[in-house]
Amino acid sequence: MSQLELAQKVGVRRETIVFLEKGRYNPSLRLAHNVARTFGLLIEEVFLFDD
Amino acid sequence: MKKTAIIFVICALLLVSLAVWALTERMAGSTGRILEISVVLIIVGFAAFLGLSRMRSLRRKEAFEDEFSRQVMNRAAALSYYASLFLWLAVMYFSDRRALEPHSLIGTGITGMALIFVLSWLWVRMRGMKNE
Repeated sequence: MSQLELAQKVGVRRETIVFLEKGRYNPSLRLAHNVARTFGLLIEEVFLFDD
Repeated sequence: MKKTAIIFVICALLLVSLAVWALTERMAGSTGRILEISVVLIIVGFAAFLGLSRMRSLRRKEAFEDEFSRQVMNRAAALSYYASLFLWLAVMYFSDRRALEPHSLIGTGITGMALIFVLSWLWVRMRGMKNE
């Protein structure tokens, strides 16, 4: 799936997906949930939370 | 789409005003004038960039404004507000020491605020919005 397709599916701009991939943006819970649901995964399987 | 059109209308008005100002004042060569024009062009360029970016998003059928872009704007606005306080202090300091007309002082302050906002926006975009 391309960045643009994912962005369209979760209702954000492509650049937001770029920043997410680079780890330079912490998404809201809703966006994290939408991204995880798009891939059919759980939030903790898509995003890594480290201290 | 309406907001994008407004951005372009404002850009056009600013460019026309700048052209009229340049023609009536016959500004040539002065470093101060060149600096003023450069700052206005940077601000117009920034607005045009935002407008084009929104149009590109519309063409791609993606959201032209989302949580990230709004957070960047909010963060840049907060940062530029803080920096602008110091700018106005500097303007007041220099106004006591140099004979400047009130409209020049206000113009310098407002243009400076706009420039600070552009720089803040670029800074926030470069750094990203991690752990905010």
